[in-house]
Amino acid sequence: MFEPVEIDDLMIAVIAGALVVLFGALYAFSFAMAKLNKERWITVVACCIFAAFSASVFVLARALHLDGYWQSITVAMLLGYLIAPQAIWKLSVGTHESSD
Amino acid sequence: MNARTLDSSHLTGGQKLAIKYFTVAVILFTAQILFGLISGYQYLAPEFGYNVLDFNVTRMVHINALVLWLLYGFIGGIYWLVEEESGTELVGLRLANFAFWLLTLAVTVVVLVFLFIQTGPGDMSTLWLINEGREYIEAPRWADFGIVVCMLIFFWNIAATFMKGKWSGISGVLVLDLVALAGVYLAGMVYTPNISVDQYWWWWVIHLWVEATWEVLVACIMAWGLIKTLGARRKIVTTWLYIEVAMMFGSGILGLGHHYFWIGTPEYWLSIGGFFSALEPVPLVAMVVHAVYDSGVHKFKNSNHPALAWLIAHAFGNFFGAGVWGFMHTLPQINLYTHGTQWSASHGHLAFFGAYATINIAIFYMALQKWRGNVYMSAGLEGNGWKWKWALGLLNGGVVGMTIALLISGYDQAFIERALGGATWAAYFDAQNGVWFIQGLWWRQLFGFMTAAGLIILIWDLLTIGRNEKRSIQLVGDNTAAEVTS
Repeated sequence: MFEPVEIDDLMIAVIAGALVVLFGALYAFSFAMAKLNKERWITVVACCIFAAFSASVFVLARALHLDGYWQSITVAMLLGYLIAPQAIWKLSVGTHESSD
Repeated sequence: MNARTLDSSHLTGGQKLAIKYFTVAVILFTAQILFGLISGYQYLAPEFGYNVLDFNVTRMVHINALVLWLLYGFIGGIYWLVEEESGTELVGLRLANFAFWLLTLAVTVVVLVFLFIQTGPGDMSTLWLINEGREYIEAPRWADFGIVVCMLIFFWNIAATFMKGKWSGISGVLVLDLVALAGVYLAGMVYTPNISVDQYWWWWVIHLWVEATWEVLVACIMAWGLIKTLGARRKIVTTWLYIEVAMMFGSGILGLGHHYFWIGTPEYWLSIGGFFSALEPVPLVAMVVHAVYDSGVHKFKNSNHPALAWLIAHAFGNFFGAGVWGFMHTLPQINLYTHGTQWSASHGHLAFFGAYATINIAIFYMALQKWRGNVYMSAGLEGNGWKWKWALGLLNGGVVGMTIALLISGYDQAFIERALGGATWAAYFDAQNGVWFIQGLWWRQLFGFMTAAGLIILIWDLLTIGRNEKRSIQLVGDNTAAEVTS
C-alpha cells in the first residue's frame, strides 16, 4: 500500500514537510502583498517562493515515496496551494465590495 | 485616585454566568499547568510521587484539566455574547446556573476521585465510578451523562434565546454546532471490548468533537470578537465565517483518517487520511491572504489591545501548531515512525495552545473590559501594559520552547526506537535513555516553568487591569456607529 520513509531520509522528510506549509504561507503572503501594493517585483518574489514551495513538495514526495495513487496528493498540494490564495483574494475583494 | 471596581450590576444575567465559567476556567488552567509541571518532572525523576501520585494520574489530570478549562472558557464565551447577539435576555437563566453548578460539582468530584481513589477493580464498577480509561476523556460514565445533560441544557439556553430574539449568521452556525457538541460526545460513551472499534469511536470525540465542533465554536467567538475589538463589519465577518467553516469541514472531517492509520481499521483509511490530511493546512494558509487584505485595508485600530494581541497569537499559533507541526508527521509514510511519540506531544502542545487557549484568554480580556465598566484598554495603558505584554511573551515563549524541546525528544524516539530499533521493547528503553531525548525533556521542564511564570502574571493582570484607569473604552469601526444610534 505504501513504502515508509527510509531512515536516511527521515530528517529530509520532516524538514520538507515543514517547508511545504511555510513556503505555502509565504507564497500566500507575498501573493496578497503583490495584489495589495500592485508592485511587479513582489509578484516576482511570490513566483520564486512558489518555485521553492514546488521544490519542497517534490523533495517530500521523493522522500515519502509518493508513487502511484499517492502522486494525487502531490498534485493536490501543488494545485491547492496555488489556487486557494487566488480564490481567497477574489472572495476578499468581492465580500468587501458588496458591503460598501 | 478612585479605583474602578469590578461591577456586576451592569452585566446581563448571561454575562454574570459567563464570569463564573471564566473563573473556574482560570482555576482549571492553573491546575493544568501545575500537573503539567509535576508530570514533566516525573519524566526526569521517575521516583517523584511514586505510589502516591503516579505519572498516569498527574498526566491524566494535566490533560483533562486542559480539556475542561477550554470547554469552560468556550461556554462562558458563548453565554457572554448570546444576549448582545440575540438582542434579548437569556432564556432559562436559572436552569443555566443549575447546569453550571452541576458541571462544576461533577468536575470537582471526578478530580478528587482521580487524585485520591485512582484505581478500582477490573470490572464495570470502575468504568462507571472511577475512570473510563479512554485517554483524554477519562471521566467515569456517570460524569459522561452529566456532561451530556449540561451540554443539552447549554444548547437549549442558546437556541431558545436566539429563537426568542433575533437570528444572525453567527448564531445560526453556533446553534447547529451546539447540536454536534452534545451529539458527538455520545460516540465516546459506547462500551465495546473490541479495541479497534473502541478506538474508532473514541477518535470521533477527540478529532471531531475537539478539533471540529470546538474549531467552529472558536470561529464563532472569533467572528464576534473581531466585530467588538476591530469594529469589523458584520456582513463581512459572517461571510467569512461560512467560508471558514466550509473549508474546515471540507478537509477536516475526513482528515480524521490520519488517526485511523494504526488502530486496525481497513487499509483504505491510509489513502483517505493521507489525502485529506495533506489538504488540512490549505485553509490555514489561504487565510493568510485574507489577513493581509484586511490589515492592509483596515489597519489595526482597536478597542482592546490585550484581546487583539491574543487574537493575533491565535492566528499564528493555529497556523504553526495545527498546520506546520501537524503536516510534518501526518502522512502515513512518516507517521509510522512518529505516531504516539513526544512528536505528537509537541504538536499537541502548540496546536491546543495556539488554537484554543489564546482565544479563551482574548475573551477573558474582553469580558473584563466590560466588567470594569467599559474601561479603556487601547494604547498607553498604565505601566505601558507591561503585565499583559509579559504574560503574552512568557506564555507564548514557554509553549513554543516546550514544543521545540519535545520535537527534539520525539525525533530521537522516532529515529532510535521506531526506525532503527523496529519499535521493540528494548528499543523503547534505548530511546528513553538517549541523550537527546533526556536533554529535550529537561528543556521542556525549563520552558514549562516559563509558561507557569506567564500564567501567574496573566492572572495578576486579569485581576488588576484597568483598576486605576479613568478613560472609557475607545470605540472603533462599526461599533462607533452602533453606539451613536443606540
